[in-house]
Formats: sequence, structure tokens, C-alpha cells
Amino acid sequence: MRKGIVQLVAIGVVIGVLVTLVAVLFQWLPTSASEEFDRIQDIYWFATVISIAIFSLVSAVVVFSVWKWRVPADDDEDGPPIHGHTGLEMAWTAIPAVLVIAIGVVSAVVLARNGEAGNRPLEVQAIGQQFTWKFVYSDDVTSGELVLPVGQEARFTMTSVDVVHAFWVPNFGQKMDAVPGIETTILVTPKRTGEFTVVCTELCGFGHATMRAKARVVTQAEFDDWLQEQRA
Amino acid sequence: MTATHQASSYGDEYPAHFEPPHGPTRQLLFGPGLVRGGWMAGLFFVLGTLLILGLRWWWSWDPVWETEIVLAIAGMVTAPIGFLAGIGSFDYWLHYISGRPTRPEDHSGHGARSWKDYFRVNTDHKVIGIQYLVTTFFFFTVGGLLAMFFRAELAQPGLQFVDSQTFNGLVSVHATLMIFLFVIPAFAGLANFAVPLMLGAPDMAFPRLNALSFWLLPVAGVMFLASFLAPGGAFGAGWTGYAPLAEGQPLGQTFFNMGVQWAGASSIMTALNFLVTIITMRAPGMTFWRMPLLVWANFTTSLLVVIATPFIAGSQFFVMFDRILHTSFFTPEGGGYVLGYQHIFWFYSHPAVYIMMLPGFGIVSEVISAMSRKPIFGYRLMALSLLGILVLGFSVWAHHMFVAGMADWLRVPMMITTLLIAIPTGIKVFSWIATLWRGRIHLTTPMLFALGFVTMFVIGGLSGIYLGSVPIDIHASDTYFIVAHIHYVLFGGSVFTIFAGVYYWFPKMTGRMYDERLGKIHFWLTFVSFNATFFPMHYVGLRGMPRRVFDYEAAFGDLNFVITIASFVLGVSFIVFVYNIMLSWVRGPIAESNPWRARTLEWQVSSPPPIFNFDEIPQVVAGPYEYGVPGARHAVMSPAKEAPEVHA
Repeated sequence: MRKGIVQLVAIGVVIGVLVTLVAVLFQWLPTSASEEFDRIQDIYWFATVISIAIFSLVSAVVVFSVWKWRVPADDDEDGPPIHGHTGLEMAWTAIPAVLVIAIGVVSAVVLARNGEAGNRPLEVQAIGQQFTWKFVYSDDVTSGELVLPVGQEARFTMTSVDVVHAFWVPNFGQKMDAVPGIETTILVTPKRTGEFTVVCTELCGFGHATMRAKARVVTQAEFDDWLQEQRA
Repeated sequence: MTATHQASSYGDEYPAHFEPPHGPTRQLLFGPGLVRGGWMAGLFFVLGTLLILGLRWWWSWDPVWETEIVLAIAGMVTAPIGFLAGIGSFDYWLHYISGRPTRPEDHSGHGARSWKDYFRVNTDHKVIGIQYLVTTFFFFTVGGLLAMFFRAELAQPGLQFVDSQTFNGLVSVHATLMIFLFVIPAFAGLANFAVPLMLGAPDMAFPRLNALSFWLLPVAGVMFLASFLAPGGAFGAGWTGYAPLAEGQPLGQTFFNMGVQWAGASSIMTALNFLVTIITMRAPGMTFWRMPLLVWANFTTSLLVVIATPFIAGSQFFVMFDRILHTSFFTPEGGGYVLGYQHIFWFYSHPAVYIMMLPGFGIVSEVISAMSRKPIFGYRLMALSLLGILVLGFSVWAHHMFVAGMADWLRVPMMITTLLIAIPTGIKVFSWIATLWRGRIHLTTPMLFALGFVTMFVIGGLSGIYLGSVPIDIHASDTYFIVAHIHYVLFGGSVFTIFAGVYYWFPKMTGRMYDERLGKIHFWLTFVSFNATFFPMHYVGLRGMPRRVFDYEAAFGDLNFVITIASFVLGVSFIVFVYNIMLSWVRGPIAESNPWRARTLEWQVSSPPPIFNFDEIPQVVAGPYEYGVPGARHAVMSPAKEAPEVHA
């Protein structure tokens, strides 16, 4: 049986390495452009490590068992009458419990940090309407394009004039529905300049797929100029 | 089919409770059946229409003719009732109510004497089980074709074949058919066939109710499909039908609102039937701790159905009332609360995920134990973990709403309960692989699908952990990552287990064996093309492609093309299944009564089973999975001759 365990571990390691290669060779997440998304990516990798371990374990046992204990169709013997094992059953109740609670705690901490507004964030109102976005910076500045200064926390207050929409910039990793009748909020702290896309992710009718807007992250000076320009 | 010969004698012994109409023509027109169902549906449609027009005219409402209201009431309430009355679902009850004599032991509508009996109201749970499966696989085919159609559209960015509203309709009807007309009722069909046999019962507790539950399904299915004919096209607000989008949709949305009522009523009635059957009709000695895990799974599922389904019924009625009665449950202008819809909807639709999974857990437990020749590892913990999922399943619905703008404080508690569900689910997965350990493994087609399920479901479960974590969900919600996740759970999970169950019980249902080689080809084609279709969706989703879009960024073009090709192969793999099943049903080799040498009761009777299942009531003496225990038996079939020896 010792030889069997070694073989099982070998299969598990091979599967683990293959899955790890899939996880690291492809860039599964968009390059982060916000501080919030950096923290989200940390949990993503934490969950990925756990997932690789569990998937490798389960599939290794399945592959190993079939390889080792497969019998021809006319075999008519039974296996050993093993009904259970209290220690094992306790282990596979307790260990996953610890793992998921760890993910839960990490997630709750990140959620709290991503929801903490610092001092005087830039207030932007985002209004969804079939099938456009409108960004209101102040009474006299309204834009169809989202422009944000880099490094400055922005708080979006969202609503919709018709149906439910959802505001998402993949590189910011932050998303929130714009719901008619209520206001919702979300924080984004852009950490690099560049051009991104605002995507609507809640089915909102026949134009849903085309409900996109441009998002630009610029330096504070460029942002101030842009605001002036809009006012003029 | 062989069942017919065994059945014929009963029809003569037990005459029908009332005289059939005289003469073949009158019998055809006025006897219960599809012809009477057809004209009565028409008649009731006219009656419903006249009622509405009469009332509107009486109150001088303008216009007297309002298409949506006529369709909703006459088309989707009275006409289906006419159809159900016509095929004879209510005949016995109406006779009873009207005071005419009825025979309690009337079995004229029980069992199939010819293939035609499958198109009638039949009270035999084995016939109903097959009726369910054939019907649900029909809708599976339609739903799959719809999916291939919109996958063709998605092969390239931009619009090629259909307009955007039609695209939304295809996506919505695909999901609706797969959920309400395939996964949920296919499990109900398998359980209908297997559960009474496994319990040692002659039938379900309420056979007439069972027949009615089945006939509600085609009503719902036709309604969903007919929405394509409605002006404005099929309902296009997704299977989730979020308000207020659904309230401003064209007429097709009403077909969804009402179709869900019929499918839901079918589910609830079947679930009640299962509960009463499992509680009251167990054979002597069949304690709860000796029930096969499939029975446990359906017991738990039925509790979920009975408690949760009224919520989706309510949510769809409210949307329809907003649409046609101008109430404002979910319209903010009238003081309605938009998120209220999502809360009510998910209070059903999250438990529904377990309704669509737990029966599969049961099937896989049966298959893995029988094919590994070993007792299920940790039987009691397996049953208890089902109950754990049942309880936790009602406390997680708002994890579908992490980005919906609901009360902030709800997020963390719902995240914790969601993550905790991984524990009972993990127990099940680990127990299955422990059952394999040191077994004598027969790699038959049902076993391949069961093992395919275990590995694929783990992927679906692990992507569920990502989505359970609120911050990751904020990024991944409403993207193709969700589409990948639900297909790993519902296709790699539920559909694989349905295939496992169909292959496993096929010899019992038909008395014939399927072709093992074709079964294996079917499995490998499905397994590979399934992964090629759905695994890349994780990637495009995380990278930024939202779900339910006909157009997307050009960067995702290549992968979407690959996905589309893979989805076509997946479609082709299903043809192998259909060919195998149809051919084997007609001329497969005659099956033994117990080809898997399984211990549960359905395998201790002939294939197909006798019309009332057991010639003598079995006496259950031990658990159902005592493989390898010398001399152990699950039941003895003739208690008078053999003294029951109690194990366990």
C-alpha cells in the first residue's frame, strides 16, 4: 500500500503542476488599475491556491482508483465492506471548514477596506439610462465620458431612470447596480492613468450589449483642466 | 414493450368506474384523450375570451379587446384547464364530486398496454417516470438547439443572424427550458420511476395527482415556446426576469410569468407526492436509516420544492399584475421596491439550485456504490449533509445580489453561509471518492458519467467559492465567469448525473440493455466538448466580457469562436445518446433483472417490473449498500417462509 500512496501522490503532483501552469501561464484577470482591485486579486490568488490543492486531491484519487482497482466486466467479487471512518470524516468536515472560514475572513477584511471612504473623495453621480451612462460631477458638469484623476479616491453614487443597469470597469474590479428608485454607492481609487471601458453588466434590454462608455484616468492637473473645459 | 403483456390482465379484472362512450367515433371524441384535450382547450379558450370581453363590455372599458389580457386569461389559464380536463386528468375527481359511483380499486388507467398508453393520463409511476423523461429530453433538445443558435451568433462580435431582442429571447428561453422543463422534471421523472420501487411500495401515494403533475409540464413547455410567436418576440428579460425590465417587455413576457406557474405547480404536486410516499409507504423494516441515498435526496429536494416554489410563483404573479393590472409592486414611480423582486425571486431560485442538484447526488451515490462494489462511505453523514444543505440553502439567497445595491450589512452574513455550504458538499465529494478507494471498479457508462460528475462538479464548486467571496464576486458577477460556473454546476453536475441515471436504470425501465460502446463514445465526446465549451468562459468573463450580450470586444473573438465550435460538438455528442437509447429501446438485447448486481429493491424484481412492482411486500432487514458483507441482504422478498434476520 505504501507504493500505492506514493503513486497517488505522484498523480496528484502532476495534476497540481498542470493546473498551476494553467493558472499562471494565462493572465486570467485584467491588469489592475485601482487599489481596490489589487486587494481583490490577493483574495483571488488565495482562493486559487486552495482550489488547486482540492481539485488535484479529488481528481488524483479518482484517476488513481480507476487505474488501480478497475476490474473486467465479468468480475463478480465485491470490495471490502468499509462503512466509514470517523477520523477521516471529522477531518474532511473540519479542514474545509477552516479553509472556507479563512477565505471568508480575508474577504470580509478586503470588503471593509474597499468600502472605507477616505478624506473627501471625489463625488461622481452615475446615472444609467437605456442605453447610455451619464456622469454628473457637479451642477454644471455632466459628461458621457468618465474622467478620473489618478490616485484620488472617487465615490460613485448611482441610480437609474428606467431599469436596473450595472456599472463595471473591468480594470477597476469594482461593480455596482444602478437601480431605479434607490441610490447605490461604490468606491474606486484609480492607481494608473490610461483608457478603460465602462460596461453595463445587468441585462437592460435590446441595447444592453452596446451600453458602454469610455473611462479615462488622467493626472490631477489634466483632470482640473478637463473640469474647467467642461464648465466653459 | 414487455410491460404491456404483463399489464393486460389487470385491465380486464378491474373494469373502469364508468361506462366509456359507445362507438369508436364517440369514444375518440368524448373519451378521455388528446383529441378531447384538443377540442376542450379550444372551447375553454373561447369561453375564457367571452368571459373577459363580456365583463369589459359590461363595465364599458375601452378597448373591449385587449390582446395581453385575453391571452393571459383565456390562453394561459382557461385553455390549459380545458386541455387537462379533456385528456382526463380530472375525470375520477369529477365523478366523485358529482356523486356518481367510483371504484376505489379501479386500475383501468394504470400501466401501459401499448405505446399509446404513454400519451394518456396514466397513474402508474413507472409509466409517468418514462413520460417525464421522454418529455424532458424533448425540451432538452429544443433548449440545446436554441443554445447552438445563439452560439452561432456569438462566434463573431457584432450581429450576424438575429436582431438583439431575438437574441435576448433565445438566451432567456434556452435557460427557462433547461431549468423548468429539463433539469427539475428530468430528476422528478427518474425519481418517479425509482423511488416507489426502492421503498418497496406498489406506487406513489397519490397516483392521480402524479399523473396530473406530469401533464402540467407540456402545458408549461408549450407556453414558453409559444412566446416566440407572440408579437414582439419571446420573453427577453433573462430567465431571471428582473423587474422593472420585465414589466416593460413585449407580450412574450406574460408567457414566462404564466408558464412558470404551471411548471411550479407541477413541481409542488410531485414534491408533496414524494414526501407522503416516502413518509408513509416504506416497506416493513425500511427505516429512514435504511433508505437508499436517492430516496434521501428526493426527500430533501421535495422539502425544498414545497417550501421555496411558492415564492417564484408569487414573484411572477406580481410582475404580471404590474404589467396588466397596473399595480406597482416593483415600479418605483408607484412606490414599488425594485430590489423586492430580486429578494423574492432568489429566495426560490437559490434553493432551486439545490433542487437541481441534490437528486443528482442521490443518483451518483447509487451508481458509485454499485459500480465500486462497496458500501457508501459514511452513509449517515451523507444523509445528514443533504439535510445540512437543505437548511443552509435557505439562508444564502442574497449572494446573488452582492452588487444589487441591497442592505450592506447583509453581504458578510450571506457570504459566510454561502461558504459554509462547501462543508456538507465537500463531505459528499470526499465520501464518494472514499467509496471508490479499494473498490472493484466497473467502468460502465453510468459510472463514467458519475466520475465525470464528481470531477466537474468540484470545478463548479470551487468557482462557487470565488463567487461566494464578496470582493471577487463584485468583479466577476454578471460576467461569463457566472455562465461558466452555472454550466459546470448544472451541466457538469446535473446533466451528467441525469445521463448516469438514465443509463443506470435503462435496463430496468425498458427490459433491454443499451449499447455500452456507444455509451462510452457519448461520454467521452460530451466530457471533452463540455470542457472545451465552458472552461474558456471563465477566462473571457474575468477578462471583461459580460453575460447576455450579442456583441463584445473584438479581443474576445477568437475564444468565442472556439467556444462556438466546441458547443456544436457538444450538440453532436447528444445525437449519439439519442441514437443509442432509441435503438436499444426497440431492439437492444434483453436485460437481466439485475445487470449491476445492485442491492436496492428495484433490482430485486423483473425488468421491467411487474405492474404493481412487488408480487409480495418485501421485508427490509438491513441497509441498501451491504456490498462485501458476507450473507448480508437488504431485504427478503417472502417474509412468511424466511425468518427475517435483523442487521444494522
